[in-house]
Formats: sequence, C-alpha cells, structure tokens
Amino acid sequence: MNEHRRQILQMLSEGKINADEAERLIAALEEPSAGKSSDNVSGSEGKARPKYLRVQVDSEDDGGRDGPTKVNVRVPMQLLRAGVKLAGLIPAQALHRANDAIHEQGIPFDLTQIKPENLEELIDQLSDLSVDVDQKDQESKVKVKVFCE
Amino acid sequence: MIPFVAVVSLRGRESRTLRIWVPLILLWLLLVPVVLVLSPLIFIGCFLCPVNPFRAFSVAWQILRALSDTECEIEHRSAGVSICVF
Repeated sequence: MNEHRRQILQMLSEGKINADEAERLIAALEEPSAGKSSDNVSGSEGKARPKYLRVQVDSEDDGGRDGPTKVNVRVPMQLLRAGVKLAGLIPAQALHRANDAIHEQGIPFDLTQIKPENLEELIDQLSDLSVDVDQKDQESKVKVKVFCE
Repeated sequence: MIPFVAVVSLRGRESRTLRIWVPLILLWLLLVPVVLVLSPLIFIGCFLCPVNPFRAFSVAWQILRALSDTECEIEHRSAGVSICVF
C-alpha cells in the first residue's frame, strides 16, 4: 500500500474525512497511473505501423464467359511516402494549371495549399484505412478490399 | 536497400508457369554510367522546369529504395501474371 493511500485511510479512521471523500481521493490517486497504463497499451499498439497497402479484387463471373479474376497488389507504405515527396517537386506553374482544371470541374480544391507535412500525416492515418466494396449483379460479383497490414 | 531482383511469373492457358528472374542489380549497374553521362542534360532540364535537381535525385533514390517488396498479381482463368520485386 503506498503512502498516500495510507494517509487517506488514516484520515478516514480519524474521522477527518467521510467515506465518500476518501473514495474520491483514492480515485484521484489512481487516475494518473491508469492513464499511464492506457498510454502504454495504446503506445505499444500504435507503434506497430503498417508496412504495406494491400488491394485485393475478386471478381466472379457467373455468366461463365470470362471466369473469375483475382488481383492482388501489395505496395510498401514507404513507396507511398516517396511518391508523396515526388508530388512536392511539381512546379508551381503546373500546380496552378491543375488547380484551374479542378476548378473548371466545380471542385473547390486548392493543390497549392497541400504541404508535404499534411501528406505525411495523411499517409500515417492510412494505417486505419479499410475499404470493403461488394458489388453483386445478375452476371457478376466483385469484391474489392483495400487495407493496410 | 534498392531492389536487386524482380521475379516475373507468367501462366498461360495450359497452366504452365514461366518464371523469369530479372537481375535488377545489373540494370542499375548499366544505368549508373548512363545517368552520369546524361547528368548535365538532367541538370539543365531541372533548371528549366524549375525543379531542384538534388531534391529530384533524392526523391528518385527514395522511390527506388521503396520499390522492394512490391508485389502485383493478376490471376485469370486463361492467364496469370505476377511481378514481385525483392
């Protein structure tokens, strides 16, 4: 039993505080340690960064003409990061042209506002990404899965 | 580490698989003198664009290094292709 807890119990036994107050004090003592332990748990899980982005496509053709098709692509996250850095090399003129083309399509998006740090953050957040698409119609069934591992 | 080998697997209709090992290290060794010879042109091109040539080289190197462990596989009833970079 630690020193603080002992003091609280002693104050309770001496009648300086009531049971509710003692309970609140003990709870307040436990909070930081609980926070630390939860930080440790999330830290150990959070540090396991995914290494690959995987795209799987399963297409089953019920008509029997083409047969099933499977696509399995594994891209290292490092390649995505390097690709993002490549985007940072695009000259300003090209960015302005791309912006104009995007605006012409009615999309309010400014490419010049994207900073390499934002893109890095975006790549980091991809670890939680999981996209499942199931499409079924009369002749075919397609499953698309995008996830990080 | 830059990729050293790429394995290309091709499967035909008769379900025979042809596996080709491509020694990328030889390709890199061949490309190094070519890049060195063309480097003045690359620098001029970068200044005209304008792109920082050193940054461009750094990014290209990072992309090259990140290519390892890339895998692409397409399977169909009649044929299949798989490319793995190690």
